[in-house]
Amino acid sequence: MIPPLASPPGFPMGREADRTPEERGLARDEVRLLVSTPSTDTDHRFGELTRLLRAGDLLVVNESATLPASLPARGEPGAFWVNLSTEYGRDLWLAEPRWGPARPGPLPIRPGMTLEVAGLPARWVAQYPGISRLGFLRVPPDFSVAIEHYGRPIRYGYVARDYPLETYQTIFGRVPGSAEMPSAGRPFTPRLRAALERAGVRFAPILLHTGVSSLELDPDRPADVPVYPEPFVVPSTTCEAIAEARAGGGRVIAVGTTVVRALESATDDGRLRAARGFTCRYLSPARPVSTVDGLLTGFHTASSTHLALLASVFGVRRLERAYAAAAERGYLWHEFGDSHLLLPQEGLGRQPSPWIR
Amino acid sequence: MNAHPPADTRRQGIALVTGASRGLGETLGGFLAQEGFHLIATARGAQALDAATRTWRAQGGSVEALAGDVTDPVHVAALRARVASRGRLDLLVNNASELGPSPLVELSQLSLPELRRVFEVNVVAPLALVQQLLPWLERAGGQVVNVSSDAAVGAYPGWGGYGASKSALDLVSRTLAEELRGRGISVVAVDPGDMRTAMHQAVSPDQDISDRPLPSVTLPFWAWLLHRDPADVSGQRFRAQSDRWEVPP
Repeated sequence: MIPPLASPPGFPMGREADRTPEERGLARDEVRLLVSTPSTDTDHRFGELTRLLRAGDLLVVNESATLPASLPARGEPGAFWVNLSTEYGRDLWLAEPRWGPARPGPLPIRPGMTLEVAGLPARWVAQYPGISRLGFLRVPPDFSVAIEHYGRPIRYGYVARDYPLETYQTIFGRVPGSAEMPSAGRPFTPRLRAALERAGVRFAPILLHTGVSSLELDPDRPADVPVYPEPFVVPSTTCEAIAEARAGGGRVIAVGTTVVRALESATDDGRLRAARGFTCRYLSPARPVSTVDGLLTGFHTASSTHLALLASVFGVRRLERAYAAAAERGYLWHEFGDSHLLLPQEGLGRQPSPWIR
Repeated sequence: MNAHPPADTRRQGIALVTGASRGLGETLGGFLAQEGFHLIATARGAQALDAATRTWRAQGGSVEALAGDVTDPVHVAALRARVASRGRLDLLVNNASELGPSPLVELSQLSLPELRRVFEVNVVAPLALVQQLLPWLERAGGQVVNVSSDAAVGAYPGWGGYGASKSALDLVSRTLAEELRGRGISVVAVDPGDMRTAMHQAVSPDQDISDRPLPSVTLPFWAWLLHRDPADVSGQRFRAQSDRWEVPP
């Protein structure tokens, strides 16, 4: 288990997006885009990617689609919710019982207890080591049907209301399995993708099913909360596309921190290869990222492990300056917020500049 | 690009765990019982095994316990009879291990009878159990998990005897995996990593090991392993506390 980067006190945090861009009167690809290079933070709209990216650049995207992972449950504690986090097998889930969107657990649930989840009997097998609010849930074979029928997307307190599942899907989502939307891909529209492809930008997929992120929103969490493993696949075709892009002088840009984690998890001694499994590889400035030249992402909570990953791409001091600029200029945080393109080597060639670490 | 295995067919399966009264074996036994396996638990210490069994049953587990030494052919025959009466064996976990002298002794000083005992428990007994239980493993399309150690791959002073036995067990695991693949039996080796257990304490009795994680730290790994397609993982060696568990792409 790996200790996360201690959250830097006072790390800049902007306003939270409490509703979708569509409700704010914007198309998905009209959200704001902050482009951060070593020396500049410039303001754009997401759709301007067609000008910001170049022919030969490769966007690596996450094909994981969002599940309706929040399920009604009943049992000895009364009525509550079970948020599914990670499928370990078709009948075993890592799950988080909660009182409600804004009311986390832990609930008084013990191993061996039978719960009714989405109308079906399920057994609480064991608590997750070191994370008291997560545990393993054994479910009956027809559980996936119950998820479809009873489930709704996971929502936390900062989002004002429930949205339908489509709101939480990206155009890249092909394989259902994420508890929470891989949100970096959300602003892409079919039209923008087509325009980028016409401009010579290529796309390649990985798969990483995200688990619940609620741990990162817990102000009382202990300092050494472990990062828990998530399923990932890096296909050989994507490894080849990355090698080709590099050989042609193009930039490899990850769409989302999930993509960085998948690629870095498929790396041995800096060499990328096809891989499939579970990963809890923790990325931080102590373990720098080698697989990507840029990262397209959202704005993340100051205490989150995402931030440690961003700092590993961009350097913690440079990231802090970019976040301060974003907060001051009114960029919106979280999954329905604005976007951020980090280009740590822009204008400096391939070698990382000294300020990066 | 499906990250998930085919539906698990081992529901209500039968699992046999050796060294089940303490440490990793006790933690894993409890997890398997909660997962819905019928657990056949064995260990040398009858009292500790009884206590563990009572706990598992109190949580609703279906458990039978049989105390004894895995190097004793009479005990192995008794385990074989228990498995035979169930008609199948879905999971055999060879977890019982002998560390050797406590505290550890360097190879140049290691008593040879003690070394033989280490090999008897850590290499010969796991193989004896596989040999004796083969028909029921085959019937279930079962899986054998041999518990290995970091000492199997590193030259750590004092760990030579134990490490050599676990290294041998690793090769036994890989070879068995090849030999039994055609019969539908999967074999893996698992290094659980450093943990706060009686055996780790025995390495150096005076050392404070309270900073080590409890054996439950490995539960996510077991949850993962036991829900893979057994054929996908057969022949592999896993580190339970690694930051990555992989199957062939």
